[in-house]
Amino acid sequence: MGVRLYFEPDIKDPLMFVGWPGIGNIGILAVKTLKDILGAEEFGEIEAWEFFYPQKVTIREGLLENLEFPTNKFFYAKLKGKDILFFIGEEQPSEGGRGYGKGEKAYRMANLVMDVGIRFGCQRVYTSGACVSLCHHQVKPRVCAVVSSKELISEAKGFPNTFLMSELEDRSEGEGVITGLNGLLLAVAKMRGVEGMCLMGEIPDWLSGAAFPYPKASRSVIEVFAEILGIEVDLHFMDEMERQVDEMVEGFYSKFPPDMKKEYDKRKSIAMERPGTITIQAQIYIDEKFKKGGESSGEEPI
Amino acid sequence: MERNRFEILQTLKLENPCLLIGWQSQDFGKIASTSIDFLNDHLEAKIVAELRPSGFYSFGGVKFKGNIVQIPETKLWASEKYNLLILKGEEPEFEHYKFINTIIDLANQFGTIQEIYTLSGTISYIPHTFERRILAVFNQSFLKDTLLSFGLQGMTWEGPPAINSYLIWVAKRRGISGISLWPEIPFYLAGRNDPEATRSVLLFLKRRFRLDIPLSKLDIEIMQRNEKLLRFRNENSEVDQYIQRLEKGLVLDEKEQFKLIREIEMFLDLNQ
Repeated sequence: MGVRLYFEPDIKDPLMFVGWPGIGNIGILAVKTLKDILGAEEFGEIEAWEFFYPQKVTIREGLLENLEFPTNKFFYAKLKGKDILFFIGEEQPSEGGRGYGKGEKAYRMANLVMDVGIRFGCQRVYTSGACVSLCHHQVKPRVCAVVSSKELISEAKGFPNTFLMSELEDRSEGEGVITGLNGLLLAVAKMRGVEGMCLMGEIPDWLSGAAFPYPKASRSVIEVFAEILGIEVDLHFMDEMERQVDEMVEGFYSKFPPDMKKEYDKRKSIAMERPGTITIQAQIYIDEKFKKGGESSGEEPI
Repeated sequence: MERNRFEILQTLKLENPCLLIGWQSQDFGKIASTSIDFLNDHLEAKIVAELRPSGFYSFGGVKFKGNIVQIPETKLWASEKYNLLILKGEEPEFEHYKFINTIIDLANQFGTIQEIYTLSGTISYIPHTFERRILAVFNQSFLKDTLLSFGLQGMTWEGPPAINSYLIWVAKRRGISGISLWPEIPFYLAGRNDPEATRSVLLFLKRRFRLDIPLSKLDIEIMQRNEKLLRFRNENSEVDQYIQRLEKGLVLDEKEQFKLIREIEMFLDLNQ
């Protein structure tokens, strides 16, 4: 029970990039895209049944052929003398009806991920996620960094388009919470003597509940990843996805009442202290638009 | 194995027993509860253990049904005469994997389980005048070859899994054969009991385990139910028309289906 490695990859002291789904799927999209760019090879997984209810069953002519669970996979890549390890989890475990990425199961999963990292000598782990802020969707998202020790602050400050949480106007103490496993992993890594950094792409607060990804922010995070690895990445393949999302977002934006739009557009040049009613109204609009259908799809589980 | 998850009420040892499982939740046609209650009554089964609910349910309040408070109960009975263990329970809300393993661990306390059978109804668009086939899912192919001769039909399906599929999948990983039985329930009887579907399940179990169980009472119940529904069809031409269309293999639209369900349920409630 736990981790299953299909083979022992020839890697040593790798940097580890880890992603789970979250707001706008910013983190997982960034990590998954980097994994694909580097052509990383799958070499193991965390067995899912202890953590998740299966998503799909396949029964053929009376025989139960397969039960599919959310995947939790390890990949590795070798890059100019640097070994890279990836972990991508399709879902965050929940426990006892509480929110995702909380509780004993999440803690256990974080430790299993670190078990594999430490086994190969990993000393640095990067997670990613969303930084919900009072930014404007037409402005390039920045990347917000939270690090596991003071020593890493100057390093994070050197990344392009990146700021520290304490640089946000209402977070001068640099305090806050990174919810879910993208945050919890940093804590587990720190407890186990591994340095960690969470790089979060900015997403406007009113879009944080939307049921679509926010690739613009993922792109900003990937650019920081590229800087960390000292590589150049061509992200043109993300243009189409970004265009589609932008079209949707602009569609909502175009329906803002003039006063709301005027107020919101101030974000292009100044940071607001706290969200006004504009944000709340827009959020409600998004939630209604993307409200999921009822559970009764007409099919009962077998 | 965590022994504190269950309470043994009576100690006894069976020899490689088979385990029958029925869930009271989502019990279409009340197949599971009526079949299990029937078996416990007729097989001299004794209650032997109970699962502790803590950790598997939200307990954010309490459910009630028929004005009576319901608590999630999962109990195990044993029939020494037929070497059978019988479990009736409430599907968990959380920790399904742990719950399933706990059930298997609990049953193993009374003898190493050889086979697991789950009983649940599947909603079908057949009319009540048609035979209730039992669709079956096997976790191992040799079982399928053996048991299809009992008149079961192999099911083909892809989609979200019920706990029974998860259960027989876990059973296979633990080296236990598993079969889930899915008798067809006419959709308009799904919310009430369907004695004919219950009978088809009990008949299968009677043959499979050579049970000495009388089905005559059930036959009378089926006859009475069919007579009632025939009378209702004669009184209500719309209902008759809907059922006739189902008998011809035609499909009712959603509105017609709801109407038929409502009419039949109201009629059965008034004519119990």
